Amino acid sequence: MDAATDPFTLEVVKAGIEAACDEMFVALAKTSQSPIIYEVLDYATGITDAEGRLLVQGNGVTGFLGTVASAAREVVRRYAGDLRPGDVVAGNDPYAGGGTHLSDVSLVMPFFCGEELLGFGSIKAHWAEIGGANPGSFATDTPDVFSEGLQLPFVKIVAEGRENRALVETIAANVRTPEATLGDFRAQWAALAVGARRLEALARRYGVATVRLAMADILRRGEILAREALARLPKGTFTAEDAIDDDGVTGEPIPIRVRVTITGDAFTADFTGSGPTARGSINTTWAGLEAGVRTAYRALLAPELPANEGVFAPLRIVCPPGTVFTALRPAPVSTYWEASDHATDLVLKALAEACPDRLVAGHHLSVCGTILAGRVDGEERILVEPQAGGWGAGPDKDGEHALVPVGDGETYALPAEVVEARYGFEVTAFTLDVVPAGAGRRRGGRGVRKELRIPWGPVLLTASFGRHRVPPWGVAGGREGSPNAIEVEHRDGRRIRAGKLARYPLGPGDLVRFRTGTGGGWGDPRLREKELVRQDLEDGLVTPLEAVRDYGWERDEALRAFRP
Amino acid sequence: MSGAQGGAEDRAGVWVAVDIGGTFTDLVAFEAGSGRVRAAKSLSTPPEFERGVEEALAAAVDPAPVRAFLHGTTVVINALIERKGAPTALVTTRGFRDVLEIGRANRPDLYNMRYAKPRPFVRRRHRLEVGGRVTSRGLVTEPLRPEELREVARFLRDEGIRSVAVSFLNAYANPALEEEAARILAAELPGVSVTCATAISRRWREYERTNTAVLNAFVQPVASAYLGRLGAILDRRGVPRNRRWLMQSGGGLTDFADALPFAIHLVESGPAAGVVGAAALARAAGLRQVVALDVGGTTAKASLVEDGRVRVLSDYAIERRRDFAGYPLEVPAVDLVEVGAGGGSIAWIDPAGQVRVGPRSAGADPGPAAYGRGGGDATVTDADLVTGRIGASRPFGGGLRLSVGAAREAVTRLGARLGLGPEATARGIARLAEAHMAHAIEMVSLARGRDPRDFWLVAYGGGGPVHAASLARELRLKGVVIPPLPGVFSALGMLAADLRRTFTRTLPGPAADGASAGRVRGEVPNWREAVREMDELARRWLAAQGVAASRAEIEHAVEMRYRGQEHTVRVPLRTTDLLGLELDEAALTEAVRDFHRLHEELYAFRLDQAVEVVDLVVTAVGRLGDPARLFAAEPAAGGRPAPSDVREVDWDGWGLRATPVFERAGLPPGWQAKGPCLIEEPGTTTAVWPEERVSVDELGLIRIEEEG
Repeated sequence: MDAATDPFTLEVVKAGIEAACDEMFVALAKTSQSPIIYEVLDYATGITDAEGRLLVQGNGVTGFLGTVASAAREVVRRYAGDLRPGDVVAGNDPYAGGGTHLSDVSLVMPFFCGEELLGFGSIKAHWAEIGGANPGSFATDTPDVFSEGLQLPFVKIVAEGRENRALVETIAANVRTPEATLGDFRAQWAALAVGARRLEALARRYGVATVRLAMADILRRGEILAREALARLPKGTFTAEDAIDDDGVTGEPIPIRVRVTITGDAFTADFTGSGPTARGSINTTWAGLEAGVRTAYRALLAPELPANEGVFAPLRIVCPPGTVFTALRPAPVSTYWEASDHATDLVLKALAEACPDRLVAGHHLSVCGTILAGRVDGEERILVEPQAGGWGAGPDKDGEHALVPVGDGETYALPAEVVEARYGFEVTAFTLDVVPAGAGRRRGGRGVRKELRIPWGPVLLTASFGRHRVPPWGVAGGREGSPNAIEVEHRDGRRIRAGKLARYPLGPGDLVRFRTGTGGGWGDPRLREKELVRQDLEDGLVTPLEAVRDYGWERDEALRAFRP
Repeated sequence: MSGAQGGAEDRAGVWVAVDIGGTFTDLVAFEAGSGRVRAAKSLSTPPEFERGVEEALAAAVDPAPVRAFLHGTTVVINALIERKGAPTALVTTRGFRDVLEIGRANRPDLYNMRYAKPRPFVRRRHRLEVGGRVTSRGLVTEPLRPEELREVARFLRDEGIRSVAVSFLNAYANPALEEEAARILAAELPGVSVTCATAISRRWREYERTNTAVLNAFVQPVASAYLGRLGAILDRRGVPRNRRWLMQSGGGLTDFADALPFAIHLVESGPAAGVVGAAALARAAGLRQVVALDVGGTTAKASLVEDGRVRVLSDYAIERRRDFAGYPLEVPAVDLVEVGAGGGSIAWIDPAGQVRVGPRSAGADPGPAAYGRGGGDATVTDADLVTGRIGASRPFGGGLRLSVGAAREAVTRLGARLGLGPEATARGIARLAEAHMAHAIEMVSLARGRDPRDFWLVAYGGGGPVHAASLARELRLKGVVIPPLPGVFSALGMLAADLRRTFTRTLPGPAADGASAGRVRGEVPNWREAVREMDELARRWLAAQGVAASRAEIEHAVEMRYRGQEHTVRVPLRTTDLLGLELDEAALTEAVRDFHRLHEELYAFRLDQAVEVVDLVVTAVGRLGDPARLFAAEPAAGGRPAPSDVREVDWDGWGLRATPVFERAGLPPGWQAKGPCLIEEPGTTTAVWPEERVSVDELGLIRIEEEG
């Protein structure tokens, strides 16, 4: 039977390509040395065809959707005809090749069978340290990309299996934790090699031509699935406006807006009219905007759709250069996820009421990334963590408590016991944060309150908590949620509350409190079933204040049912 | 008579293993005197599972006295999945009651904005906080206040709580406060079950440990009631009380009394037993490297067995899927990779017109189209009937008969939508299902740095022997071994299992520097003392189980990693001695050397970097008997076994061939044949492809190898 007419063989080969991507993903998690990779899974693995079109992507986080393929295309552009088996190209340029910020380093490896180029393996991973002015390589106040770390402009870091020593030693000399950074590089390389072997075996077993046929089929079928899902979406134009709190430097809110147009064969998101590139590092480049919109697009069409270039064929993104979503070199971008995630959120906000079966009200949105950095016994200790928060309600479900935001995904909160044993901070509370917000017929989920006591000093705190001023949005009469906040209680009694901090000094005995927001509610809270409010009061998940103010309870009755 | 002492004569009388699954209850009886093995399969009887056991015993064993009873059961996993446990509470450190609800906060279903995370097994109202703190180094910085616990107990009593989990932050480093709190609560709450988290796991990560304790607390009263009822039945039948063992997820047996407080260890006993059986078989047949493959109705499970040893992981989860976080359990569990491809897996066409097989399954009811119970979808079993690789002439377990006509009709319907005839469609379904099964085998071999070509495939379950030879050829495995009684192999495996109990402790510290000599910075924990303590626990446990010194062993291992890494590699220590292990400099140096080698094997690289010890693992092992006898063949009736039938079978690339069909029972050791041929027995069919050679070895195992 000819492979072209045998759908089963094609399926077997396609399953093989997916399995290769899977194995790359698992291999990296198991060998990495950075918590940001092995606990937070802040990376993505992908396989593309020989032209750099995405065939399959393994995601730890949504934020990298499609960027691995842009990196492969950049490699095609720069090195076409000059690639050998065993080569690895490294790039983190935020303004090209799917770059986001310098910490996210793409490694791309051509996959060969003999002399035939089959495609590329591409892995983008967050390296805990890439140098620059700030420990952990991001800060809310970096003035330009040069202060954000070492730039790798898509250079061959491995040639035919041999490490480029000059480059590797240059990296080691430019980062604060060379051991961990190089460990991550080698783990990423090893994971690519796993994929290369699998794809080669596939081509030897079924033939190069069949593998290429299967690749083309993946793209073709992806587009069919996407168009079918698109046909089921409501048609029309949907708009949303919002504001990004501030840029971390000037304190001015940045207006953002989107106009989504859905027709029978295209899904267009137009961000024209959004504010200009900011002075602080919250800007994103095109890659972050594209990944952000793709996340919303996939959530709307069908979350279970595969991630390949065909699926994104109907998607158009419009935005002039020089906005907060389309920063140009050398604008600062080290906390790019703030703008990128807002792009996702805007599209979701525009469509929430129109697509209640797919979407929920607004959530805490910000990754709430924190860096605590200091030296103990002459050794640099850098704790980099995202924080979970409250999610929005849907028309038929309460919001989820304590989940990572839309830009994250298979991202794990660090256990308090690991934080204590490994970094020496004392965790005095890790609990849901019950505040009067997010009421609705279906209520928003609760964020978290995490408290750390600092035992030694000095420790520098850098943190970027977006949605510190503008809380998560409610839908259809549901109340808005609550903002994210960083609070510090110094030993001498001084207190601060902030949304963004850069290298804020802490000393022994100081207490840091990370609080993430409650998600938005859906529907009029007065319509919430009394029994559900009672259960929430009994569980201490709703305060008596909300019971009276939002749900229309008698004060005494609410106090009786409440158990904190 | 005192426990599992003595030699083979100790196997006198009938030893019975009963494995209760969701659909079937399998029984295997071993007569030690004659060496005979009998098997029976009956329908399970939820929710009174013990009734099924009683019926199976009456039907298959009577009137012989049962001298030992081994048991695997779905009671625990059922109670968890159906959320039918005791009203449960959690008592924990102040500031941490929501750890159970926050979990790890991950969203595995990345693009689903409506993702619903796992709901905790204890509602917030019943998660109570008390004072008392221990540091990560085990220092008590704030004592317990007993009056606070008594107040908690009063509230829980008023709320009708029947089971309490106690889990404190950092208790892995020092469980004193947690144990004290559990003692106070137990005294204040007579009749209420109390689970102390560190009694199950002494590893770090508060959510995983706490969740394990909560799930144990949730099922403990249910399991306790079940074992009580089952015990009464066994009493009536005169089964000796010290000869009743339960299969645990980690592949070891333990007695009823020991299993009772830690019912969570029974969560996945059936699949573990099959792998243990495969390991025993590998030892008996002298096979160094084996992949065990269990193909059931809904899934295929693969597991690696090397040097006769089962791989055991210490983290496991229930209900975890690609798109759902599930509930982590810190209990030892046999390392399995499961894929959604079994006999009942449905072939279907997705909206883009692509053909797929699984993970949806027709299950046992309605089952494949061939069952004739109203299942209209084409399944893998239907495809196998159409190709002729399985036949419809003999009953298919539980007295069921298969209909080739119904199978063909379903496969034809699917094929029409693809523009293919029923034959091509059936071949394709089998190939696609086998691609999924091959992936499971690769995930346990290739993905772990092993070369599949070094492995024998030991295949069982109803679908294993049908697809094994095809998989072995595709993956270029050494060959295939089909064990005796493949349809009830999990029950058989229990008879080959050892008594086992694992003790683990997290005590991170530097083991060795990288290139240079000398130690890395940081203090070295008192590992020697910890190992001594655990050795003592292991010895006491073995004594309590009545294991004679000659049949007892203590195994040691350390979980190690490169400094800064998270995932650890388990490194066995060579010393196995009942006297215990001195974890001294020499032992550590050897362990570090082994770690580098294992890491390279697993992940293809080693680093010139400091190595850390994370966990110490001590396992007590008591051998029950001589598993080799289980696999000894019953001599077949002499003479040259003739085929019982010859039929046309579709061998894909080789086309249609007239294929002889043999009865396994008629094949004596030493028998050989060339493929293609089929070997039938109750519950399954072994398919031997063209250009393959099949033989029956001296143990009665079917072996298939490529010719030449």
